[in-house]
Amino acid sequence: MINVIRSEWIKLRTTAVPWVLTGIALVINGLLILVIFLRHDQLTGGDSIPHTTQQLNNLVGSGFQGYLLALLLGVLCITTEFRHKTVTTAFLVTPQRPVFVVGKMILAAIAGAVLAVIMLVATMIGGGLTLVARGGSFSAMLHQLPSVAPGMILVFALFAILGVGIGSLLTNQVAAIIVVLGWFILLEGILVSLVTSAEKWVPTGAALAASNLTRGQGGGNNGGEVFHLFNQWQGTLLMLGYGILFAAIGSYFLTRRDIT
Amino acid sequence: MPSAIEIDHLTKQFRGVLAVNDLSFEVAAGRVTGFLGPNGSGKTTTLRMLLGLVEITGGSATFGGRKYVQIDKPIQHVGAVLEATSFHPSRRAEDHLKMVAVGAGIPVSRVAETLDLVGLSDVARRRVGKFSLGMRQRLQLATALLGDPEILILDEPANGLDPQGIQWLRTFIRHQASTGRSVLVSSHLLSEMEETVDDVVIVSQGRLVLQTTLADLSTRAGTTTGMRIRSPEIARFTGLLAASSIAFRTIAPDTIVIDGATPEWLGPVLAQHQIVVYEVIHEKGSLEDVFLNLTRGFEASLPGGGHAPGSGPMGGAPTAAPAAAPPAAPGPFPGGPS
Repeated sequence: MINVIRSEWIKLRTTAVPWVLTGIALVINGLLILVIFLRHDQLTGGDSIPHTTQQLNNLVGSGFQGYLLALLLGVLCITTEFRHKTVTTAFLVTPQRPVFVVGKMILAAIAGAVLAVIMLVATMIGGGLTLVARGGSFSAMLHQLPSVAPGMILVFALFAILGVGIGSLLTNQVAAIIVVLGWFILLEGILVSLVTSAEKWVPTGAALAASNLTRGQGGGNNGGEVFHLFNQWQGTLLMLGYGILFAAIGSYFLTRRDIT
Repeated sequence: MPSAIEIDHLTKQFRGVLAVNDLSFEVAAGRVTGFLGPNGSGKTTTLRMLLGLVEITGGSATFGGRKYVQIDKPIQHVGAVLEATSFHPSRRAEDHLKMVAVGAGIPVSRVAETLDLVGLSDVARRRVGKFSLGMRQRLQLATALLGDPEILILDEPANGLDPQGIQWLRTFIRHQASTGRSVLVSSHLLSEMEETVDDVVIVSQGRLVLQTTLADLSTRAGTTTGMRIRSPEIARFTGLLAASSIAFRTIAPDTIVIDGATPEWLGPVLAQHQIVVYEVIHEKGSLEDVFLNLTRGFEASLPGGGHAPGSGPMGGAPTAAPAAAPPAAPGPFPGGPS
């Protein structure tokens, strides 16, 4: 298994995907920091800087919604094998196909966590500099890091795992990307607005619970109102469950699939 | 002789298509076996079942009794070059091999060694997307050799290679065999492989036509002969042949071929009837002809059934083929001179 994961790491770093996604993540992160400051100015009339615990939390967690990129990372790292037919070589090296899927999940989880760390570091630098430039306290911001970072790192890893699970089931890269973006950007929101009680069950709700942050983080549009979500452990297990469920179904079909 | 690969009553049913039909043969250890058949005869499917990539419908395909998935660190025992295996275009050749080596627990030092072995050392840092077809084939071979396997499976490795590339491949395969490896190499052209293989397994429409040695196949080729005659008096000669019910093929306005005829028969006939000839050629059937006849004859025999593989196609087929067509099947010459 260690060999499989190390091989997956070489695969990942020798394609453009992780670097492009990281680049996109950093650009989005910068924009989100900007949005946080602009919104803050809008709400306060521009005569204060983020200083409350909640405001600083929001700032530190501004890259939170980058979890979608972690999800894409997971999807891409498995579907790209089918797109470029490198899966033949992969299965010759690792004929036990579930091992191949699990190896990808573990590597994707690590990569997702690293992406979260990169975004957190970028936020601390970019957001921190902006804050200090406007006379804010960097140490106050740094003080909030321990309450935000673990949840964000966990959520990114969970989404990357989910991405691999979905990709193992939907191996067509284009179809998989359309489905995950369609679900997480559009359908999930529609579902939750129609059936409010579904919120804690959908992946985003579960991930939010796992992050142990309030809805105020990242999007920041609900002013820190706590929704009726599961607790952190339940959310983590549910999110992990989704990933494992998809991967199990995907592995089942993958094992019976003819690689021609 | 111990076997390296056993294919036993192997069957593959794709939706509605019987791609491999009750196929059985063995690949002897330490020899080069040509796996031959027309395109679409089930060669690739057979090899992919053997390698655990395609699910088996019936029968078994094993390496010394073990399925591919049962082999621990399989690519250290079996190296494969498959058609339609691709590379990630933006990955460098060396990284591709590194990723396989690490995944299989092979020392990374083998990467440079195998690149050197296939002559790709100079382009190790180049992205595979920029590679020519021939270079990709070499990289595939390098991938197959990474684990220093005792068995090599090559599916149409000559495809996309230029003549020098094919020559290189032949030498390469012979070299692998000389170091004790067993090689199973597929091709739709026997001529590509006839200088390379020791044994042949011929398949058609998913079924075994013939398994034999190349030497035996050559003997068969030697027996399929004919005489080609170019003459200004061809009409008079063909009239005589027709009167004696001797079959011939017209391949040009002034040229015919009498399948199965010998110089010893033809000479006296020409002398007796005082026929002027411009050209007489003793045609010896090539291995390719035997191969084509075997597979074509086999296909023709399929609907009727009844023919045991390998026995039916050698005779029987009509010899009066249309003008300019390649020989459909060399027929026995009836009786000789009257």
